[in-house]
Amino acid sequence: MPTARRSTSLTLAPLAALLLVAACERPVGCTGEYCGTMVIASGGEPDALLPPVSEFVITRDVTDQLFLKLADLGPSGNTIGDEDFQPQLAARWEWDAPTTLVFHLDPRARWQDGQAVTAADVAFTYDAYTDTLVNSSFRSSLRQVAAVTTRDSLTVVFRFRRRYPEMFYDAVYHMRILPAHLLREVPREQWRSTAFGRAPVGDGPYRFVAWKAGESIELAADSTFFLGRPHLRRVIWRFTPDQQVAVTQLIAGDADAVEVLVTPDNVQRARADTQLATYPYKGSAYGYVGFNLAAPGDSTRPHPLFGDRDLRRALFMATDRERLLRNVFGDLAKVPPGPLSQLWWIWDPEIRELPYDSGQAARLLTRTGWIDSDGDGIRDKDGRPLAFRLLLPTTSAIRRQYARLLQEQFRVAGVDVQLDEVDFGLYNERARAGRFDALLNTWNTDPTPSSGFPQTWTPAGFGRSNYTRYDNPDVDRLVDQAVALAANRDQARRAWRAAVETLNRDAPGIFLFATSNVAAVHKRIVDVTIRPDSWLALLRTWRIPAHRLTDRDRVER
Amino acid sequence: MAAWLVRRLVASIAIVFAVVTITFFVVHLAHGTPCGSQDRPLPPEVCQQLCRRFGCDKPLLVQYGMYLARLGHGDLGESIGLHRPIADALAEAIPNTFILALAALLIDFALGLALGIYQAVRAGRFGDVAVGNVALLINSMPVFWLGLVLLLVFAQWLHWFPAGGITDPVLCPRIESPYCVLDFLWHLTLPALTLGLVGAASTARYQRAAMLEVVRQDYVRTARAKGLRERRVLLVHALRNALLPIVTLFGLAFPFLFTGAVLIETVFAWPGMGRLAVNAILQRDYPVVTGAALLTSAMVVLGNLIADALYAVADPRIRVRAGEGGGGGRD
Repeated sequence: MPTARRSTSLTLAPLAALLLVAACERPVGCTGEYCGTMVIASGGEPDALLPPVSEFVITRDVTDQLFLKLADLGPSGNTIGDEDFQPQLAARWEWDAPTTLVFHLDPRARWQDGQAVTAADVAFTYDAYTDTLVNSSFRSSLRQVAAVTTRDSLTVVFRFRRRYPEMFYDAVYHMRILPAHLLREVPREQWRSTAFGRAPVGDGPYRFVAWKAGESIELAADSTFFLGRPHLRRVIWRFTPDQQVAVTQLIAGDADAVEVLVTPDNVQRARADTQLATYPYKGSAYGYVGFNLAAPGDSTRPHPLFGDRDLRRALFMATDRERLLRNVFGDLAKVPPGPLSQLWWIWDPEIRELPYDSGQAARLLTRTGWIDSDGDGIRDKDGRPLAFRLLLPTTSAIRRQYARLLQEQFRVAGVDVQLDEVDFGLYNERARAGRFDALLNTWNTDPTPSSGFPQTWTPAGFGRSNYTRYDNPDVDRLVDQAVALAANRDQARRAWRAAVETLNRDAPGIFLFATSNVAAVHKRIVDVTIRPDSWLALLRTWRIPAHRLTDRDRVER
Repeated sequence: MAAWLVRRLVASIAIVFAVVTITFFVVHLAHGTPCGSQDRPLPPEVCQQLCRRFGCDKPLLVQYGMYLARLGHGDLGESIGLHRPIADALAEAIPNTFILALAALLIDFALGLALGIYQAVRAGRFGDVAVGNVALLINSMPVFWLGLVLLLVFAQWLHWFPAGGITDPVLCPRIESPYCVLDFLWHLTLPALTLGLVGAASTARYQRAAMLEVVRQDYVRTARAKGLRERRVLLVHALRNALLPIVTLFGLAFPFLFTGAVLIETVFAWPGMGRLAVNAILQRDYPVVTGAALLTSAMVVLGNLIADALYAVADPRIRVRAGEGGGGGRD
């Protein structure tokens, strides 16, 4: 037995030593205004930290800290003209001609390897963003830019194909300027897998430190950043695929911020924690049931059901959108007055739309010949039941919940709806090919309706985002007018309103929700300002006052 | 014994090959190509180029042949979604899954054996019934739900353990000090406990039954009649024979641990192979799915091989039969 005791002691000794070492305080050094560390619990992980090749929101969040734009949206979010934009890489700009925009780069701007940022970098970036081999999702947003040339090392000239109100927005908002000297030699077809995308060198307020696949990405503040040193010394994105767990990490103190709490339950959990502050902001997404106006798979013929405007209107009026929304989102979304996100300045609750009126819906269905002739609870006409299939992706819990509620609501109206729940890739394929009766879709929108709306609800989006193949020349004309009038807000607003009201009368879809977002951030972090189109756009100004720093904020590595 | 081992190895390789083949064809039956499943259509030249790179412009059988040829050279290919070699991605994920599975296995068998023996000793009494019911309750819980409950209780309410992740990203970006080793173990505890508890609940039931079967044997009665202490009778004479069915369970535990890890790694944000595979499935990253299936099946088969070998060690009759050239395995 003494032998057994000795072996136990021998086993426990290293463990005790380990505990002793662990119990020792780690050295804490940093004091003052620039010591904070913020851990963000993030649902996704970037595919590559190279802005033109990635479409993920998380990539945008991280790369916005690494790469600068020429100028950025101001607090107003106004995308028209250049008055409300704030300088970033460009210290100033002027219009040489109605379609010629000249940027003067800030001579203080440096890449984090010490090289100066030059006009050649801007021209190189434009070339990369518009290269079909890179296939950037922003390429179409730059189609009105005819050329980008350099005048000298700090002057770059944008030439546009035509004059329009959002020229400046298109020139500066979509592109993050890239270092030509580090990327020029990389073949464009290899950009998605280049080593630069996993360890980028930028010119932004933060520099890249580490990316541990599946775990975290860490950035450190660039103390020499020419537009002002960021207050938070380190920012770490911690990848947490489950939203519930992300909120648990936040409450447990393992994370400091979450971008969107998503469900009312999560908002309640965060609000119940006295250490956390919640920040509501406008969402950029809207969701709808889209009716396929063309026969599935054959866009030359009308859909046997949804080619009928009265039927679409009846289904719209049979849907209690407010109740559905309360059931799914609580107060984390609004019923949109058309195909609009809350982020858009044309959002107007006064826009006229069809009411929820189940009686009128029933009468309209009966008048158009849809009656329940065999008493099975489903309306029919000429021996054909009023039935259709609703396409949705299995990956969206919100849409699956909506689909079941809609199915029940339509059943009460005498309409049989079968759900086609398919994986996300197949959903996209079928949506684009028009192989569906109706679909439950969501769109994340840009800050301006000028590009998103026409792409989705006019023939300009056929074969791309206009899945329903909705086509009304009146709407097209009004949209064109609204886009052209954008410089005059009141006139443009009236034109947009007329376009949306015309579309609403046609009921190409049932517009179900427009999201509202709520972020949660630890209370020791102050001066938190969230810009709805990009929640971390103003991260450089967030800070932790010296007296609220924790040991974790101060720890040196 | 050597002949038996060779036969088992050949059979194991055949199983892994079958899994890889089935996985390859099943994932390719799904709709979409590297250029067709994106939100926006890729230009034809980019699509052609991607297809050339991933071989999707060739007939399926040719793709399969190419895949096997690459596999023969140890090349698992390149991930479509991660934009990096699959071997690199798997090499980062495997150790994490392996450590999690090993820790869970330890908890599973240490706790399961102890509880099973305790129940057998107390058979029919309160302790047996109580442990049995708790084990049944845990065994009935979905593993991800148990994980969420443990997170809620131990991370959110009690703050005893961290709420997911592999280390503290602020204090331990790398495991390079004793503090960070301990931090890693601290992060490992809840996911390993979740997986281990569910396994232990089953193991305890098997162990109880096996012990009760053995303690009725004549040689145990003889040991007691010789005047040996009850503890020695149970732990030395009865336990070794009662372990045989548990060794079988050891082999069966591997598939459970790896499938359970898929869910647990998601719940606990544990960057292992399960999470990699789930993400790959969602992104239709076929090469990663096939690579993950290959490695998972290899590990499960290896686990079963070890279980069979342990079985032979624990039961001399199997050793003899195997040595005689008889069937071997679990007869």
